[in-house]
Amino acid sequence: MSISNLLENWSQFRHTHPVEDKPHDPYKWAMSIDLDACSGCNACSVACYAENNLPVVGKEKYANGQVMHWIRIEHYWDEDVGEEGGREFPDQGAQFLPMMCQQCEAAPCETVCPVGATNHTPDGLNSQIYNRCIGSRYCSANCPYKVRYFNWYDYPSTENIWPAEMTQQLNPDVTVRGKGVMEKCTFCVQRLAAAKVTAKSEGRIVQDGEVQTACQQACPTSAISFGNLVDPESRVHKQWRAQQVELDKDKQAKDEKEGGTELRGYRILEDMRPYPSVMYLERVRESAI
Amino acid sequence: MMDSGFDRRDFLKVMGWSGAAVALSGCGNTSIEDGKETVVSYVEAADFVIPGIGVYYNSSCAQCDAGCSINGKVREGRVLKLEGNPASGINNGKMCGLGQAGVQHHYNPDRVREPLLRNGNQGEAISWEKAYALIAEKLDGVSGEEIAFLSGGVSGHLKVLLGNYLSSFGCKNHFVYEALSPGVVRAANKKAYGVEMPRYNINKAKVVLSFGADFLGAWVSPVHFSQQYAQFRNGADGQRGVLIQVEPKMTLTGANADRWVPIRPGTEGILALGIINALGTATGDIAAAVKNYDKVRVSKETGVPPGQIDKIAAILKLRSPSLVLAGGAAEGYAHGSQNAAAINLLNHVLGNVGKTIVAPVTVPFPQMAPAKGNTAALKSLNDGLAAGNFKVLFNYAANPVYTAPGAMKFKDNMAKAEFKVAFTHYLDETALQADLVLPLDSALEDWGTQVPEYMTEGAQINILQPLMENLHPNTRGMGEILLALIKQRRPEEYKNYEDYYAYLRAALVQNKNAFGGHSMDDDTFWNETLTKGIIKLAGTTTALNGGTNVSSLKLPTPAEQDEQFPLQLIPSVNISLRDGRNSNQPWLQESPDPLTTIVWDSWMEIHPKKAAELGIVEGDIVEVTSRVGSIKTQAYLFPGIHPDAISIPIGQGHEAMGRYAKGYGVNPFKIIDTVFDRETGELAMHETRVKVSKTGQRVIIVKDESAAGAKQVREKIAGRVSTDNVDLSKEV
Repeated sequence: MSISNLLENWSQFRHTHPVEDKPHDPYKWAMSIDLDACSGCNACSVACYAENNLPVVGKEKYANGQVMHWIRIEHYWDEDVGEEGGREFPDQGAQFLPMMCQQCEAAPCETVCPVGATNHTPDGLNSQIYNRCIGSRYCSANCPYKVRYFNWYDYPSTENIWPAEMTQQLNPDVTVRGKGVMEKCTFCVQRLAAAKVTAKSEGRIVQDGEVQTACQQACPTSAISFGNLVDPESRVHKQWRAQQVELDKDKQAKDEKEGGTELRGYRILEDMRPYPSVMYLERVRESAI
Repeated sequence: MMDSGFDRRDFLKVMGWSGAAVALSGCGNTSIEDGKETVVSYVEAADFVIPGIGVYYNSSCAQCDAGCSINGKVREGRVLKLEGNPASGINNGKMCGLGQAGVQHHYNPDRVREPLLRNGNQGEAISWEKAYALIAEKLDGVSGEEIAFLSGGVSGHLKVLLGNYLSSFGCKNHFVYEALSPGVVRAANKKAYGVEMPRYNINKAKVVLSFGADFLGAWVSPVHFSQQYAQFRNGADGQRGVLIQVEPKMTLTGANADRWVPIRPGTEGILALGIINALGTATGDIAAAVKNYDKVRVSKETGVPPGQIDKIAAILKLRSPSLVLAGGAAEGYAHGSQNAAAINLLNHVLGNVGKTIVAPVTVPFPQMAPAKGNTAALKSLNDGLAAGNFKVLFNYAANPVYTAPGAMKFKDNMAKAEFKVAFTHYLDETALQADLVLPLDSALEDWGTQVPEYMTEGAQINILQPLMENLHPNTRGMGEILLALIKQRRPEEYKNYEDYYAYLRAALVQNKNAFGGHSMDDDTFWNETLTKGIIKLAGTTTALNGGTNVSSLKLPTPAEQDEQFPLQLIPSVNISLRDGRNSNQPWLQESPDPLTTIVWDSWMEIHPKKAAELGIVEGDIVEVTSRVGSIKTQAYLFPGIHPDAISIPIGQGHEAMGRYAKGYGVNPFKIIDTVFDRETGELAMHETRVKVSKTGQRVIIVKDESAAGAKQVREKIAGRVSTDNVDLSKEV
């Protein structure tokens, strides 16, 4: 992507979807995560390791911040707990939040890649082209969610990451990334591709429930839903609509009303206008106890 | 393709033969015929093998005892990933992280690959024939009483075969040991409900009051309960379920509670009686038993504010049915049985028995029902070994050298047996003490049947079948080994079974009518069974018939402050590492602890207030000393723990078991006092008093949580609303 091309066609590259002249069709992959159901058990993360050939980096590299978990569970505690003058105990529990690439429609990471290694696909994914990536890590610096992971080492040849026996577990549908490459959650693009091919060969589009991401499939409380936002029959579409969350808005119905609403759906850091494709549903806590 | 030790011939086998002739010439092979026997053309592919297409086979998860059914993705003869089998009533297609890591058990580089015979400090590889002959030789002239067989929980046909083997030489010493078992709760349930493990309908309860039962994390059948929990939260009839968790150290379930109630360790039973008192609905004996447990006294003894007790009683009264659970944190005391009895009494008073606590189903084959492990078994085995009663010791699926309390001196006592055989996957701490180590097939290579202890509406027998060929040619299945051993004793009875597969098939096909296969011929029935991976049975229901006998209920008043050992040690159960048998699976080591986000290590949780008193900050290396011994680990300041307690997770501190387990963290079992529950004889895991001192060293804790901790802009990122505003039942 030359700089002149980039400048000339800027509005096209910055297209936020869906808009009237260029709607997503027939797919726009999106997710919704119910934080009231999420128990923080980490099954999603382990499933992702299994599906996407993520290396286990070990204690030392973990300490250096080089862990590769594409989906992680973030923890939030009430701010006054354990502080001077605050509450002594976190007596309303913790808040868990699975965080992965939000597949932003106007992704801050995409515009800064000097080589166009990360860009948007027609079905609404923020894709990463490994063999185009030169490892500038600018995308990671620009990601507000901090969900891009860099291969500081050549993990396949690093001792004890994948000993000979364990290489046999690697998923052949997913590349094993080499040193110097940025990677991140793909919404299990290998599964999406396979489902799309099957559907196309049968002359239809992928139906809701036909394809699951690895994290969604494992989740013991079914907190994660995933599907085609354009498909009015999909659960994700229904959830987004019920929560009145719209993809191309930076302020939702929920934000307009003063003093609380029955709506729980929100997107993280929405006011920065990355237009993320993941909607979260607020955790609920009982008022009577 | 990776440049690790990928065998070139395997590569060809996978890639097919086309063009290989060209590739081979000049690569060190002298002739095109070299290695032809290992090359298989896909023209003659094995059944269902299509290059590039995954095939799914049903089997069962063996990572813990919950008995989830799995669906293994197999490609080109290799198992890649485990999914849940949607047909199982237990996990309904879902999987936990621990289950997912089952492939890392299978592909673990530190598996034992040959039978090993002790020669000094070395293990010498020997043949299976020699190993079997050696066992026969060592058993010769030894009476049944002098032989002990230690195992973890076993069920299904393996249990039948094991029982037959032991009876073939008159041995009645089968010790079934699980380091983390709800042994006390089982006994209390038996008294209160007439069954050891009733079925809990979390999804039908409007309020769940859990006394330290971590049902979302590591208690009994977490994947099943997690699904029930999701339904409970949505509400059966429009009212969202309320979870109240009472425990001194926050578990994963506690972190998900609407109200987490920190309680002084060991006083759970007192609070339960206090709640019955506050409810004011009990009559007769029960009312008399709780009459002294007024709010003021209960609050003083438990540390739970009187207002909180009122609120709990009020919501329990208002919303029915509810469900009260007694879990690990309540049972781990010398008066654990009393605690559990008091908590179960609450269910009777609230009228939950028959509604949210219902009769379980069992398989109509008692000989296959699970032999449930407990810790009392370890004590009797240890006593027997110490007295020199046992000449031969077999060990399967247990690692007592690692999990027995240090004060039991199990390792020394084990040495008193003359001949010790370990059936094992890894050289763990116990296998290292054995004289003969027999390598087992992984759970993804083996045949078998499982009967889970906790089942749902219908009974089921889980089928284990190999998801791939043996990774290592010289490992054997446990069933296979037992069959070979029993043939030494009773050749006539077992001569028709060539291998364990034949035995299993014959045993199941023989009973096919009972398994719903009346109309099928043997082959169809067998193929159907393997395809489904589960045999569903009507099962027999044992009616609940327990009582509310309160005459023996006696709860001790909490002890006065102990000057020398001022803190209570809570050995906590981590959701992934459990009792440490899976600690060598790197996905689990790198899976952050749900509450502290710490990886690859142990830590000591301490309340910030207590830490300030002791001058401890995060990362201080502290020495935790009990009457038995001491261990050193890093301190983590955690407000989710009672200030009178500290907590160290179980599962780390291995001295063996391979590269991913050995040398990480510390093992709190080493400093546990050997106190036992007075009624059941179960190990009282939470009865250890400790003191904590700084060593002067400090480290940076390796964890997922950022340096800013979790205090950054929560309001904006992780939203929370009150139930006043939402109606979940109306949502999509």
